[in-house]
Amino acid sequence: MSTIEIQNLTKVYGDLTAVNQADLKVDSNEVLCLLGPSGCGKTTTLRMIAGLEPQTSGEIIINNNNVNLMSTRQRNIAMAFQFYALYPSLTVSENLANPLFADNLSQDHIDKKIVEIAEILQLQDILNRKPHQLAEGEKQRVAVGRAIIRDPQCFLFDEPLSRLDVQLREKMRSEIKEVLSNLKKATVIVTHDQLEALTMATKIAVMKDGFIEQISTPHDIFAKPKNTFVAGFIGTPQMNLVSANLEKQNNENYIFKVFDQLIEIKIETSSKLSDNSNYTLGIRPRSFEVESEKSEHNIAGEIDLIENMGAERLLHMKTTSASIRAVLSRSLNLNIGDKIFLLPKEKQVHLFGNDGKAIN
Amino acid sequence: MRKRAIGEAGWGWTTMAAIVGFIYFFPVLFMILTAFRSRMDTLATPPKWFFSPTLENFYHIFYRSTAGSTEYFATGFHMYFFNSIYIAGVSVLLALIIGTLAAYGFSRYPLRGNDTYLFIILTTRMLPPIIVIIPIFLIFRLTGLAGSYTGIILLYTCFNLPFSIWMMKSFFDELNTEIEDAARMDGSSERSVFFGICIPQVKAGLAATSVFALILTWNEFLFALLLTGKGTRTMPNAMARTIGGEINVDYGLLAAMICFFLVPILLITYVLQNQLLRGVTFGTIKK
Repeated sequence: MSTIEIQNLTKVYGDLTAVNQADLKVDSNEVLCLLGPSGCGKTTTLRMIAGLEPQTSGEIIINNNNVNLMSTRQRNIAMAFQFYALYPSLTVSENLANPLFADNLSQDHIDKKIVEIAEILQLQDILNRKPHQLAEGEKQRVAVGRAIIRDPQCFLFDEPLSRLDVQLREKMRSEIKEVLSNLKKATVIVTHDQLEALTMATKIAVMKDGFIEQISTPHDIFAKPKNTFVAGFIGTPQMNLVSANLEKQNNENYIFKVFDQLIEIKIETSSKLSDNSNYTLGIRPRSFEVESEKSEHNIAGEIDLIENMGAERLLHMKTTSASIRAVLSRSLNLNIGDKIFLLPKEKQVHLFGNDGKAIN
Repeated sequence: MRKRAIGEAGWGWTTMAAIVGFIYFFPVLFMILTAFRSRMDTLATPPKWFFSPTLENFYHIFYRSTAGSTEYFATGFHMYFFNSIYIAGVSVLLALIIGTLAAYGFSRYPLRGNDTYLFIILTTRMLPPIIVIIPIFLIFRLTGLAGSYTGIILLYTCFNLPFSIWMMKSFFDELNTEIEDAARMDGSSERSVFFGICIPQVKAGLAATSVFALILTWNEFLFALLLTGKGTRTMPNAMARTIGGEINVDYGLLAAMICFFLVPILLITYVLQNQLLRGVTFGTIKK
């Protein structure tokens, strides 16, 4: 069994609270991605789990053992670093062997392990090279190899793909995912790239300013964001968050005033909404359909800008007070200056209260 | 290698560089030539470029007669030479060891007010040595350190410490700390992180720091003049003592001494030159 659990974990640097009472649990076979903008405390959290940074308060529990007082090595964790952290003077195979030295294994055993890992990560041809002779992707693979060679209790990855170019990143993403799924260990990956998180993780924890905003599966974090930050952070292009005033409600149909337009939207909610108060509507750019004329359900505006995204086009629609982004098929014949009417698709409108929290 | 270098720079620039290099080297060349001239040739005006070389001056470093007498006596020069090597070597080594440890601490385990401490350490080098010589002289007299090896070695060590701390700190700051973290994860102790991971990566820095410190210490005159005794006198002072007196300045003798004086520094700099180049350009090249 392999689990990681943190409870109430806090790290304070002087006046700055880098991590604020974070709680999370990673089961064996689970890959948790810590996702957030730079400086949100995700790397600090990872380093505290690794034991490279002492926590100010809180508990770290690995495999049901409290490891607060254990050294990095005693925790028996492997970590792959953002800049790979390969020993510059050692060859690839020596780099791979290094984590094994502390275990007092026989040379034969070490050699066997290296061959095994080299096969998994296709490092056979570069075993005798030094790190400076390697390409970025190869360095990345060596770093991953060094992490998995020792059969630790769990794995930590710090921005594993941030230094690779787009094509290599895609390739490595699936390779690492495959390796991790075979290992069946609790894994924590830190990343600021949501695509990386959404594809590699079984669970995502979105962080902001030291707080964990939401922990859910990749699907839920996209489909049911808990607050406006998560809603805006996950998904590209960014979700439209527009402020709306509730004018009237009629069973499941609510009439909001948005940009001086009255729009009727069907929302399924168990909460009681109050008339004449302010809400935020969250609509993803891909949740729109184009209609040819104004109705009580759609939003009217004028096309301000068109960005080509390959298969689709991103439109910026100007209304009286703000702009709305919509992703539409390229087959639609639309030009800048055209008047269009966007209809939010049913059940794809997120509703947030005045405090930014989602209303179900 | 050399051919390619000339090809890239072009003959014009290469010639220009050679001329500038020669101008810089000229005083040293003239001094070396002087060491091989006889006393008559040395004092000739205009300087004689062609002369029959003699080893007379080198002999006189070790054995000399008083004016008018034909009886030669040993000057004990080899002892001054040894003193210089011993004192400079030990004090640079000490400064390097203490400085490297301190620099590692300043770089990796910053204290509250880290920069203030670093600044205070540097302030000791802001005063000209002549200002602190009197208190130091009094301290030495009170503690009985005057004239002893321990005294002058301690003084030179302190003298070199600020420089080696600052220099080594900048080298440690440049290192990627992830590698150290990786070593910790691999089970290295703090000691083996320092000796096994950090030190090998700052070799160039150690070389550069030690050469600079060595040159400063090797050439130091003022403290040595006032704080060494007959048994611990260093080369710069021994040389100074040949000036004046009844024979005025014996330029040939002085030049011969300087030739000896240059040898150790030249050797060390030559051996370490590759490291030195990497040391002084550290951090300017993208890793």
